Amino acid sequence: MAAALGPKGDWFLQSKSIKGFLLDITGVLYENGGVAIEGSIEAVNALREAGIPVRFCTNETQCTKEHIVTKLNRVGFNLQPHEIFPPAPAVRSFILERGLRPHLLIHDGAKAEFADVDQSNPTCVVVGDAEDFFSYANMNAAFQSLMAMENPVLISMGMGKFYSSKGKLTLDLGPFTKALEFACGVEAEVIGKPSKQFFLSALNDIGLKPEEAVMIGDDIVSDVGGAQACGLMGVQVRTGKYRPKDENHATVTPDGYVDNLLQAVKLYLKHR
Amino acid sequence: MTSSQKAIKAALIDLSGTIHIEDEAIPGAQGALQKLRAAGVKVKFVTNTTKQPLREVFENLSNLKFDIQKKEIFTSLTAARCVVEETKVRPLLLLEECAKEDFEGVDTSNPNAVLVGLAPSVFDYEHLNEAFRLLLDGGSLIGIHKGRYYKKKDGLLHLGPGPFVSALEYATGVEAKVVGKPQATFFHQALQQVGVALEEAVMIGDDAKDDVDGSQKAGLCGILVQTGKYRSGDESKVDPGAWGVCKDFPAAVEKILEHNATCS
Repeated sequence: MAAALGPKGDWFLQSKSIKGFLLDITGVLYENGGVAIEGSIEAVNALREAGIPVRFCTNETQCTKEHIVTKLNRVGFNLQPHEIFPPAPAVRSFILERGLRPHLLIHDGAKAEFADVDQSNPTCVVVGDAEDFFSYANMNAAFQSLMAMENPVLISMGMGKFYSSKGKLTLDLGPFTKALEFACGVEAEVIGKPSKQFFLSALNDIGLKPEEAVMIGDDIVSDVGGAQACGLMGVQVRTGKYRPKDENHATVTPDGYVDNLLQAVKLYLKHR
Repeated sequence: MTSSQKAIKAALIDLSGTIHIEDEAIPGAQGALQKLRAAGVKVKFVTNTTKQPLREVFENLSNLKFDIQKKEIFTSLTAARCVVEETKVRPLLLLEECAKEDFEGVDTSNPNAVLVGLAPSVFDYEHLNEAFRLLLDGGSLIGIHKGRYYKKKDGLLHLGPGPFVSALEYATGVEAKVVGKPQATFFHQALQQVGVALEEAVMIGDDAKDDVDGSQKAGLCGILVQTGKYRSGDESKVDPGAWGVCKDFPAAVEKILEHNATCS
């Protein structure tokens, strides 16, 4: 997929006003399956050496922050759990604030986040990327749970359509949330990219305003479109789930395209 | 109100809830059917089934002493097969094993399309990914129908094919061609097989939306029978009003014959 087409768009001409970066993880730093994308370790290190704050916004919902960090650091990155923004902790706060009791349709690896949350007699359904756990039986149980609720609440950790895993495009959680929406006639509350709140909480952590940051991701809708709707610049990498037809997308026009993360970072550092 | 001034030359007749309920015929339905045939009205039995092959539908009706022929039955599986043959695609069949019988002889090697019925045993991550990748590679998507859910004998609701069709549509941006009732093409295909024009045909069924409103929007006259899944007030789901509302199938036949008498 990594086509060497060179940079497109002139986002980097505004480098002087760019004070920080939000980076997607899967498809930008490494491929699902655990191999670092060429140059991405060097790119993150270069930003750190230049003193540029970086946060990692991921819709990774199969494991905890600590697991994500362990996986990344094993292949040569140097990340800290507090720099990672996955949806699960945000969902946890959301349901606790509202006093909801979740029925979890998520990967076993992510259940630790909710271990101490009351899950009896559920008042909401939470969908994560459950992968093989998206069986008919589990989908049906979530559906029946929603239908039994007086006010059905459906929470989705992002709305991604697909991602690249072990060289193959693979269904993300979005289609499964869509199925439940269609079956029950409800609209999901999305927590994670592309929700505005999600980008803002990561920006808040590094004390930046949307116009002072760039989001770099491989998902043209969730990463790039979502960030732009929040007021950030959005740049798409030609790695991960990138497909050539993203260059003429019907609804999203990125502020730029780059072959990979390292190309973006080099352009930025050269022009700042 | 759809009004037909022309004589009715063909009747599309729904099965479950209209001429039988489970293993009991609606009283007088067999005789009414014979009367309809004797009056020269062509008949076609139409049903949305995604699990039962045509052979089984036929056997059930024969057991209930309905005088019908196999070729008079038109199901949503038949309709799907028509689409597969017309568009010359090789479908990946997301169907239960029993329904595959209606696709015997269809080339399913190296698939370039996805056909989705009600198939709980294959609605899993692996099969949906396979379907997703075919669609992303340019395949077409055919849905037998888009029902949200259905009620099983356990009294619980279970997910129908609609949610999974809609999941694949969302993931790929490919819009499904849905073939069952209440799609206009379904009624048109069924009528084509008996060679009767839309305005000379009636659809009789107990589902206000899928049978009656659907067929009227497709250009036929619709008769709502007050049996099966009919609930009081269902008349209002037909816009603008059903051509006829009758207490059961024999009454619907009487209505057609009376209408034809005024046309001759």
